[in-house]
Amino acid sequence: MNALATGAADAIEIRNLVKRFGAFTAVKDVNISVPAGSFLVLVGPSGCGKSTLLRMLAGLEGPSEGEIAFVGQTVSSGAGGVIADAGRRNAGLVFQSYALWPHMTVAGNIAWPLKVARWPREKRDRRVKEVLALLGIGALAERYPAEISGGQQQRVAIARTIAPEPSILLFDEPLSNLDAKLRIEMRSELMRIHRASGATSVYVTHDQVEAMTMATHVAVLNNGRVEQFGKPIELLRNPATTFVATFLGTPPANLLPARRVGDMFVFNDTPLVSGAVAPGHAEVQLLYRADDVAVGAVPDKPSVTARFAEAAPIAGRTMVTAMLGDLRITGMAEGYFSAMPGDAVALSFIKSPDAVFAVSGERINQ
Amino acid sequence: MTFLSTFAPSGGRRLFRSGFIMPAVLIAIVAILVVAPLVRILLSTLTPEGIAAWQAVLASPLSFNLWWRPLFNTMILGFGVASGCLVIGGFLAWLVVLTDVPGRRLLGLMATLPYMIPSFAAALAWGTLFRNSRLGGSAGFFETNGLAIPDWLAWGLVPTAIVLIAHYYSLAYTIIAAALSSVGADLVEAGQMAGAKRPRIFFGIILPVVTPALIAAASLTFAGAVANFAAPALLGLPVRMQTLSTRLFGMIETGQNERGFVLALLLIAVSALFLWMSDRIVSGRKAFITVTGKGGRTKRFPLGAWRWPLFAIAVIIGLLTTVMPVLVLAASSLAPQSGALFSNWTLHFWIGEGGGEIAQGQAGIFRNPVLIDALWNTIRLGLVVALTTMLLGLALAYTIVQRRGSLLATILSQLAFVPLLVPSIAFAAAYIALFGAPIGPLPSLYGTFALLVIAASAHNLPFAVQSGRSVLGQISADIEESARLTGAGLIRRLFAIIFPLAIRGLFAGAILVFVKMVRDLSLVVLLFTATSPVLSMVAYRYAAEGFMQFANAITLVILVVCLAASLVAHGLQNRVQKWKET
Repeated sequence: MNALATGAADAIEIRNLVKRFGAFTAVKDVNISVPAGSFLVLVGPSGCGKSTLLRMLAGLEGPSEGEIAFVGQTVSSGAGGVIADAGRRNAGLVFQSYALWPHMTVAGNIAWPLKVARWPREKRDRRVKEVLALLGIGALAERYPAEISGGQQQRVAIARTIAPEPSILLFDEPLSNLDAKLRIEMRSELMRIHRASGATSVYVTHDQVEAMTMATHVAVLNNGRVEQFGKPIELLRNPATTFVATFLGTPPANLLPARRVGDMFVFNDTPLVSGAVAPGHAEVQLLYRADDVAVGAVPDKPSVTARFAEAAPIAGRTMVTAMLGDLRITGMAEGYFSAMPGDAVALSFIKSPDAVFAVSGERINQ
Repeated sequence: MTFLSTFAPSGGRRLFRSGFIMPAVLIAIVAILVVAPLVRILLSTLTPEGIAAWQAVLASPLSFNLWWRPLFNTMILGFGVASGCLVIGGFLAWLVVLTDVPGRRLLGLMATLPYMIPSFAAALAWGTLFRNSRLGGSAGFFETNGLAIPDWLAWGLVPTAIVLIAHYYSLAYTIIAAALSSVGADLVEAGQMAGAKRPRIFFGIILPVVTPALIAAASLTFAGAVANFAAPALLGLPVRMQTLSTRLFGMIETGQNERGFVLALLLIAVSALFLWMSDRIVSGRKAFITVTGKGGRTKRFPLGAWRWPLFAIAVIIGLLTTVMPVLVLAASSLAPQSGALFSNWTLHFWIGEGGGEIAQGQAGIFRNPVLIDALWNTIRLGLVVALTTMLLGLALAYTIVQRRGSLLATILSQLAFVPLLVPSIAFAAAYIALFGAPIGPLPSLYGTFALLVIAASAHNLPFAVQSGRSVLGQISADIEESARLTGAGLIRRLFAIIFPLAIRGLFAGAILVFVKMVRDLSLVVLLFTATSPVLSMVAYRYAAEGFMQFANAITLVILVVCLAASLVAHGLQNRVQKWKET
């Protein structure tokens, strides 16, 4: 079954999915569907339910309500539990711990799922060689998992998962145990493998940078709920909630609480924007990108004075963070900038806010 | 070059002191404790008398009775007990760790209890129930109540094997359960994702991963059965069934020391051979270091309709091997006629005055001054040995870990593990060979409390080092190093950092040593004399003379001491490390 050859039905369709563990609801009414060949990233802070969602996709947990369909076929549902067994849904899972079988060699680890699937010997051997080469670990074939490094174990885990050519690849925070440099390397490696296999991938991470670089579709999860689902750029441009707005993006965006005074919204005694942006609201939260906050006073633009906290050079400019009471505000300075912590620094809001949110967190459409 | 740097001006002396003296002292201690007795026993069989003894044992008309017959019995016992323990211990471990059986904690606790009960308790209980009238004396409970017990079930190999399985299966359980719970859920789920069915996952993944543990469990229970003295002595000797350990005891008891030493060496060879072989098999495979997944979850398989039946089987095994023996011993210690366990109960055997009709005028155990002496001696022995063992173990483990990879560490750790290969009764024989006669100006230690302590500490060395290492393993190098950066010296670090963190593990280890000593018979049976009686020995004496009720009563006292120690330990453990609330 080749994922690219399927017809109109979405490769993965999740409808009204709920998962409860006793009184605790880990996943609340999730609806997501992606076409074949997509790279879906589930991103959110730890404990948001993203791993549980992935385990339900893998067939390791049954949902409490709702259903999951792969290419139009229901594989799990609240009523029927796990309908198609984990092994029967043509999906592969890369575990966070890699879960390599310690008593088998690298080649043995990759070959075993093929043995279980009753591949003939020759075809099996050929495929093992192929994936070993694809991951660049041919030299390790006869080693045991305990004898190779973490990064190599990671490659073996991926090789083992893609060997049976599943049409759906599931990744559970696969890069979280690697060091920063290796993580970036493996990120491109994974995308290469995703393209090479043509499978539909679901990738769980708490790292928003991974989500933004790899995904064709992103679902931001928080407290078991999908806060927003869409293309990465779309989420960045039009965040639906304050959670999404502050969770995604580098450098982080600023969210300023403002009160209506007269016909203006005022932040910390500084009038920022006309009250017309949010008719009927007495209090709002204003989203300013770091790019839209300049360091130093700018004529005709509202500005506040904050206490300098830290500076980090980024691509020829400097990201400056200052404290205003308990609120962190991040802006960009041209060139290199430095100051002593605690120094007064003026921050100017050179554009109108990128988005306006109600106090409850939802976006107010302008 | 490292030698030169040792003499660097700053702190050179301290380096020298802690870097050289301590290992040297440790090597000396271990050499005296372990190497000297073994070398001595070997040498004493190379004298003319010794050579004659070798001949008598291995190549003479006597050798069938002295060596081949006991060897055969010993082997049968070893293999029988090892396989029985694997089956029962493995079954329970599988049930508790890998399934959704109800009451898993309870079952797990019950499976670890039999090891706390001395093997002679089970042997005595067996005798109380199954003894038949073939040898005269009063018959056991079953025969008295009209159930004829055939000889093979009353005496000899079969009951000995059953009693030893009932004792050692909990050791197998502990080892296998630990291995099974290290098989992370991820490994199993990865198999599920590959589409493997449950049997395939069990035989293809779980079983191979725990195979080293299975081999270890088999070889340790084998070694335990081969070395055991109490069960074959109580259930086999009356019908002249000899194992190597009872033969060895008989030889030394009757003054034929050289023959005893030869048998001890042969017993060591047999036991060491099997342990060494299993070690080869295990280390020939790859050491399976599993990366445990999130929180070390284990996958529990649903049993479906089998949940309660399997639970019932596990509970019955637990009851038969823990509660039953204790109840039987308790009832027997109250019943004047050993056949009628539940009638005419009397406290005579506990506190009765002597001179009456019952028990040929013997007084109750608490009227016996020897017993009070023995009780005190036993507890003292347990405490002193626990202390020496844990201190020695910690020092050895620290040195070994600090100098990992050096020749010194290798020698120390190898030497410290030698006693594991030596059955305790053979070890005791070696101590008689070494300390039975005065050495130079030193008086003969034979029969003194000191000899018991030294021999027991030496015997417990492998365990001590093991638990010392696991205790130190819980203290990461960072913690110690961060203390070192503050400028604290070794002693200061030891008391301020290492001790508080290690105390819980040390305590657990010390309690185990204490319990082991209190219920030990095979080590003390040769080293004990009238001046240093211990409880287990007094019980064995009573049993050998046919006063079963007294023996049973003393065994109960031993059980109570062991149980009390465990409870005290449990209570204290939760107190000493308050940040580890359970």
